[in-house]
Amino acid sequence: MLKLIWRNLLRNKTRTFLTLASVGLALFILTFLGAVLDAMESAQGSSDSRVVVRHAVSLTFQLPEAYEKRLKTVDHVEGVTILNWFGGTYKDQRPENFFPRFGAEPETLFDVFPEYRVGEEQQRAFEADRSGFIAGKSLAEKQGWELGDVITIKGDIYPLDLELTLRGIFEQPDALAQEKQIFFHRRYVEEAMSNPGIVGTYWLKLDSPEHVPAVVKTVEAMYESSAAPVRAETEEAFALSFLEMMGNIRLLFSSIGLAIVISILFITANTMAMAARDRVREVAVLRTLGFQRGQVTTLVLAESLLVGVLGAVIGAAGASGLIGFAAKAAEGFFPALSAMQPTPGMLGLSLFIGLSIGFVSGVFPAWSAARIDIVEGLRKVA
Amino acid sequence: MSQQVIVEVSGLEKTYKKESFEVQVLQGIDLEIHSGEYVALMGPSGSGKSTLLNLLAGIDKPTAGKIVVGGSDMSKLSDSKLARWRHRHIGFIFQFYNLLPVLTAFENVELPLTLTRLSKAKRRQKVETALQVVGLADRMDHYPRQLSGGQEQRVAIARSIVTDPALLLADEPTGDLDSESAGEILDLLQQLNEDFGKTIVMVTHDPGAARRAKRLVRLEKGLLVGAEAA
Ligand SMILES: Nc1ncnc2c1ncn2[C@@H]1O[C@H](COP(=O)(O)OP(=O)(O)O)[C@@H](O)[C@H]1O
Ligand SMILES: [Mg+2]
Repeated sequence: MLKLIWRNLLRNKTRTFLTLASVGLALFILTFLGAVLDAMESAQGSSDSRVVVRHAVSLTFQLPEAYEKRLKTVDHVEGVTILNWFGGTYKDQRPENFFPRFGAEPETLFDVFPEYRVGEEQQRAFEADRSGFIAGKSLAEKQGWELGDVITIKGDIYPLDLELTLRGIFEQPDALAQEKQIFFHRRYVEEAMSNPGIVGTYWLKLDSPEHVPAVVKTVEAMYESSAAPVRAETEEAFALSFLEMMGNIRLLFSSIGLAIVISILFITANTMAMAARDRVREVAVLRTLGFQRGQVTTLVLAESLLVGVLGAVIGAAGASGLIGFAAKAAEGFFPALSAMQPTPGMLGLSLFIGLSIGFVSGVFPAWSAARIDIVEGLRKVA
Repeated sequence: MSQQVIVEVSGLEKTYKKESFEVQVLQGIDLEIHSGEYVALMGPSGSGKSTLLNLLAGIDKPTAGKIVVGGSDMSKLSDSKLARWRHRHIGFIFQFYNLLPVLTAFENVELPLTLTRLSKAKRRQKVETALQVVGLADRMDHYPRQLSGGQEQRVAIARSIVTDPALLLADEPTGDLDSESAGEILDLLQQLNEDFGKTIVMVTHDPGAARRAKRLVRLEKGLLVGAEAA
């Protein structure tokens, strides 16, 4: 049976080749577009789903610590952490010695900023040491800091000096600018000032960028008439508009994809119908020999599925190759795309589409093959 | 003829409906064929010979009447049972051979066996035997287009006997062959009848071919007009 399916497929090599090529090309384009889209979204994705909450009047006004509990309960909020701007001076006023210093909550920092990668051991060491700090890799390298080094930051906004021990180094290769800052325990400052319980900014991690507008609205409304009203905004000012643009691209890509799939479907369906029509007589012979309707159906459908799957494999393999190549090429001028890679989901989808094309094109010919009148079929001149 | 009855046809009618008008092709056929017989079915073109043969093969359905082959009343069989029945009991030989062009001679002959549970080795053995019987053991890796018409028909005969059916039905098996190849095919059918005990019904135009059979049945305008020993 298998042999027959395979041989039938190879019978009209030109036709099979053209069909395979068109299915392959379509899935190649789909897989590639999908990878581009995924890469662009993931480059943007994490920060797009964060919301910053600060005092409505100005960044120099503080919020009460008690807001944290309530912010956690807002729908679509997955995590909340605190960042307090410390300011101060490291060594001197020269620009290379300026870098952002934040009082943070070590326990939740990495939940809200999962893109900051730090070894688990270092993270625990940082959490355990009330006077510990972590620094971005580029900054640490530039300053020549090593784990265990102690640095002093002179306070200006706050009337105290920080003595901090380097407990960890985090990496954020996708945004090197963010490696040029340090985080320490905000409790260090709190305790030194006998616990005023004040917060500069709350950072909320949402389950999806789509929910940013709703959360912004809810949070602002929550504290509208309180003593410390808040302003909530997206991490980047352009995030919303960017999102909107991505939505349009996704729609565009999806429509292109759909159009491709449909036109390929017509091509394969036509091929399969032609192939089946040419073989009515052979099907009649098989039925005379004792093949069941179901077996004839299987034969035709399997051939069609095989075309679809082979096309998908060819297309997806080709796309994977190009994606790897394009990702390298993009490194220099379009970093967002250099993260592009063929994901199992995408390859699976390609296979699924290939199978569906095969199924849809084969199902009618297979059904009619099962129903042919044997005697009439035998009369057909091939 | 003391042998058991293998084909029993009574009151068989077949009418084709074509849009508005009807063609009554078979108008009441009664026929008995015994095991081991070799029957030639003759008659003018359009007299219904093929129609009768197709009904015996269970690939067509009668309008009225009864066909019992090998003890099974075919009108009572479902489509899938009928297919299984054909596979087990009938070997069909076509005028135009009807080998599958994408398969070799060996694979064509093996095709009916793929419906069985036989092991690969056992299948191979049966296919080789069948091809030896028709004298084409040396051509089993040839594709149909690499064979002559007579050889193709011999492969087709090998395919029809590989499942060892009791009844062989041949519709003008020599109709498309030159006289030499036709002679070989007729020799082969005779051998299958005499040495292997196959019951054969052969439709033919050729009186010479018909003389090889043991019994001659004539069909004219949908009726049997004479049954005689050849
Ligand atoms: N499917 C069909 N539809 C209509 N008429 C048919 C069909 N099959 C056969 N016939 C008619 O039945 C008659 C007998 O056909 P057939 O059995 O093939 O004759 P033979 O084999 O004796 O030449 C012919 O007149 C033919 O036109
Ligand atoms: Mg005929």
